[in-house]
Amino acid sequence: MSDAPASPGGGSHESGEHSPRSNIREQDRFLPIANISRIMKKALPANGKIAKDAKETVQECVSEFISFITSEASDKCQREKRKTINGDDLLWAMATLGFEDYIDPLKIYLTRYREGDTKGSAKGDASAKKDVQQGSNPQLVHQGSFSQGVSYANSQVTLLSL
Amino acid sequence: MRQAGAYSNLLCGGISGRTGPHSLPLARIKKIMKNSSEDVKMISGVAPIVFSKACELFIEELTRRSWIMAIDGKRRTLNKEDIASAVIATDIFDFLITLVSNSDATDANNTVIQMETI
Repeated sequence: MSDAPASPGGGSHESGEHSPRSNIREQDRFLPIANISRIMKKALPANGKIAKDAKETVQECVSEFISFITSEASDKCQREKRKTINGDDLLWAMATLGFEDYIDPLKIYLTRYREGDTKGSAKGDASAKKDVQQGSNPQLVHQGSFSQGVSYANSQVTLLSL
Repeated sequence: MRQAGAYSNLLCGGISGRTGPHSLPLARIKKIMKNSSEDVKMISGVAPIVFSKACELFIEELTRRSWIMAIDGKRRTLNKEDIASAVIATDIFDFLITLVSNSDATDANNTVIQMETI
């Protein structure tokens, strides 16, 4: 008996040798290496080359970075009894863990992203007008849901006043 | 209004086609966030967008610091050891030390954070 520590139903697990972590597919654990390679090249002088093993190492480091920051932000949410990790939690976690230099560029990026979103709807006015009247513009609807309906409301006002 | 095709724009790697020119795929970022801990249940829509830029900054910084190591070694090709040297030389990259020093155990190195005894 003591020779068989496996569970009674062990027979059905003969092919289940792999550890749970191997159930996480590679493409769920890492960001695409092509994207990472492109960003790395941007940071190097034109004559700089990158070995494959360097790209793979950075690929692993980026996943570790995301987990590192997310875990810190998640802990904060749990302490504050909140369920959803938001952008401010991540910024706080980065500042706490020594990445305070990233905060300002990130804030600028987010501001620009939101402005770009609004401009996007303004540009689309001419064709969007028709769509809104038909009540079927997926772009505006999606955008509205992202920015808490503010920009959607704004663009509607703009459209109506045209 | 026509949506861009999934592969028509190299810079667009989003989940909805309205994610703008993020350089990294948001859905993948979200998956990695969820994999990082069982406590991570809900993630706001803006969180992967924050990470798409943060990861870009992180990759650039790690690459620049590694490049200095390559130049010190009179090389113009960045290799794995340069990344490891940069990690060891930089305080804020301490959380990566286990990962870069276990070169042959990377497969066993899951995204679980190993912060002990650092």
